[in-house]
Amino acid sequence: MKSQLPFHWFERFWSVAGAVSVRTKILGIILGLVLLLGLGVTVQVRATLIQTMDAQLEDQAVSVARDLAARATDLILVNDLYALHQLLNETQANNANVRYAFVVDAKGQVIAHTFGDGFPGDLLTANAAASDDHHHTIILNTDEGKVWDTAVPIFDGRAGTARVGLSEAGIRQTVNAVTGQLLLTTVLVSVIGVTAAAFLTWILTRPILQLAQAAQAVGRGDLSQRVPRWADDEIGDLAESFNTMTAALAKAEEERAEREQLRARYVSGVIAAQEDERKRIARELHDSTSQSLTSLLVGMRALSDTCDSLAMRQHAEELRSVAAQALDEVHNLALQLRPSVLDDLGLPAALERYVADCQRRYPLHIDLAMRGLSGCRLPAEVETALYRIVQEGLTNVARHAQASTASVMLERRDGAVRAIVEDDGRGFDPEAAGRAEERLGLYGIRERAELLGGRLTIESEPGRGASLFVEIPVSDSPNPGAKAGHAYV
Amino acid sequence: MRYLSFILSLLLLASCAVPPEPSAPVIHLSDLKPLPADPSDDVVPLRVAVAAVISPKGTAESYQFLLDYLSQKLDRPVELVQRRTYSEVNDLVESGYVDVAFVCTSAYVDGNEKFGMELLAAPQVNGETVYYSLLIVPADSPAQTRSVADLRGRVFAFTDPMSNTGRVYPTYLVQQLGSAPDQFFARTFFTYSHDDAIRAVADGLADGAAVDSLVYDFAVARDPALGEKIRVIHRSPPFGIPPVVVSPTVRPQLKAELQSILLGMADDPQGQKGLQTVGVDKFVLIDDSAYDSARNLLAAVGPVSP
Repeated sequence: MKSQLPFHWFERFWSVAGAVSVRTKILGIILGLVLLLGLGVTVQVRATLIQTMDAQLEDQAVSVARDLAARATDLILVNDLYALHQLLNETQANNANVRYAFVVDAKGQVIAHTFGDGFPGDLLTANAAASDDHHHTIILNTDEGKVWDTAVPIFDGRAGTARVGLSEAGIRQTVNAVTGQLLLTTVLVSVIGVTAAAFLTWILTRPILQLAQAAQAVGRGDLSQRVPRWADDEIGDLAESFNTMTAALAKAEEERAEREQLRARYVSGVIAAQEDERKRIARELHDSTSQSLTSLLVGMRALSDTCDSLAMRQHAEELRSVAAQALDEVHNLALQLRPSVLDDLGLPAALERYVADCQRRYPLHIDLAMRGLSGCRLPAEVETALYRIVQEGLTNVARHAQASTASVMLERRDGAVRAIVEDDGRGFDPEAAGRAEERLGLYGIRERAELLGGRLTIESEPGRGASLFVEIPVSDSPNPGAKAGHAYV
Repeated sequence: MRYLSFILSLLLLASCAVPPEPSAPVIHLSDLKPLPADPSDDVVPLRVAVAAVISPKGTAESYQFLLDYLSQKLDRPVELVQRRTYSEVNDLVESGYVDVAFVCTSAYVDGNEKFGMELLAAPQVNGETVYYSLLIVPADSPAQTRSVADLRGRVFAFTDPMSNTGRVYPTYLVQQLGSAPDQFFARTFFTYSHDDAIRAVADGLADGAAVDSLVYDFAVARDPALGEKIRVIHRSPPFGIPPVVVSPTVRPQLKAELQSILLGMADDPQGQKGLQTVGVDKFVLIDDSAYDSARNLLAAVGPVSP
């Protein structure tokens, strides 16, 4: 558990530090370093200063006390107490750290001191010097802080003892002043450091933020984005790489769009050619083959009328019915290929005929509803596309859905035509791969819708039927080019 | 972690710098109490004053044996009393604060006249009970400096205002030249002791001084180097040696006892040591007439301002 503790701490640290921005991280590092260095230096300087100044204070205490003892000797011997008193006062006045000075005579009586009225209790007995001592220094605990008390015997103790107390208050003041200065410097340097770091991080993160914005724009598909190379460093290299990548993407996109356009044009051409070909064949079937068959039928009737032999007549009737069936099939084939009614009477009529034809051919009930399509006609390519889409949809329903009912609904509204083909059949999974031809059929109608700027949606679930939804935009204004068969003739 | 150990070492360093706390109780420097009164001694000491012929410290050192001897003989503590000037000592003798005093010749003459200072004994030095005033100049002063007349316009050091050899006699010499010290010398100052006057001349602080021959001999004997720095250019007629006196308040029995101890010192080995340290052969009785010459000199010079 213990070995995991640092990781635990690191995780907690990182959950905080990792959540802030790079700008804050750099600021934090600079601020942290400056504060750490400043505080460390302050603590160390303070400690060294106190140590040095304490040692100096002790030396000063000894030198002041020795000097006082030497100068006091004759004054004590001749009992010049006034001069002695003056000497003590001068000693205190001339040495800022001297808190007190006093002289004790050989009998232990204080004969002069700097305290004014009265004398602190216990001070007299706190320190003493033997007659052969050079000096004797102790540190006294006083209510005013530590005091270096030095006792020096006067005239080998025969004239008494000189006592001097040096207070560390002055030292403390100096040390505190220095500490204050150092802390102030630390704060100032911190402010300068944070300002510099803010500028630095602005310089550092500006290209990164720009890169991020440009990358988002590229993600949205705007490949025109380029970022400036601010500096000749790693971030500059990254910007360069980004620009190269975006340029390559743009070129690839351009090529893809070009290919797509070509493909669309090609597909559009193929579809148009297919429709033209179908129309031509249908017309051929109608105009030429049907006429021939009709002539044949008329000929057969005449033949059967003029024929006396029953067997011959019967045979002619049979041939006539075969010809009539062929005419029907030719009609159906022409209708399947391209109903001329679509070109001549428009989408609603064509769909009505197609739906009726479907109901006749398949065991399927189909509801057809159309709204907003009467009046002006849709553009020919839209009519063709919608017709083919409904045709494909209903063919699929009839062949694969095993449905009993289907509904077709067309509506023109709000600048678009929507067509829905629904059934109550077995349904399928639109995502799963169906049969290849089925997929190809769906792909074809999707392609038709998209070529016209529309979109096709298929919704289905196994067992829940299926719905095919297509929407193609059209202008609401009457289409001047919407004359019958204009687009494909 | 590295930063942490760095901080820790800093803190350790800081704590090492603090000196160990003394375990003594806290002393309140601002809490002032009256000092206890000087406890009166159970036994009243015999107070012996020594006039500042030499510096206070020198006096205390040289008279220690003699005073110890007196204390031992009297079976009574003896306290040395010193004052800066002769007149202060005279005042103490007059008031009876001191019992015995080693005074200067002129101080005796003055005290005897004013309040009946009594002679106790006189030291005999080199077989004589007289001393002289010596006029000294720095050894490097010009060779033609041969008398006080050659010191005109120079700096002169007096010892004590009341001193016979150090003040009265040189003043007499200047008066003989028809002048007064204030006009004759460029500047004068007091050293308050004879050994300091010798040193003042030796150090070139003064161009001349008059000193007690006894002190001069003693000082030169103790420090021959000092003798090489000065030159004696004049020697006065003899004067009665500075005596040992008692206050008029001293009881006759004590006076007799003290006299007996002093006179018997030369016959006592311990006493001889005491005599030796003050540079005296022995103590002898002396008559007041021995101080007439000094008295006459003082009268001739007239009152000297302190």
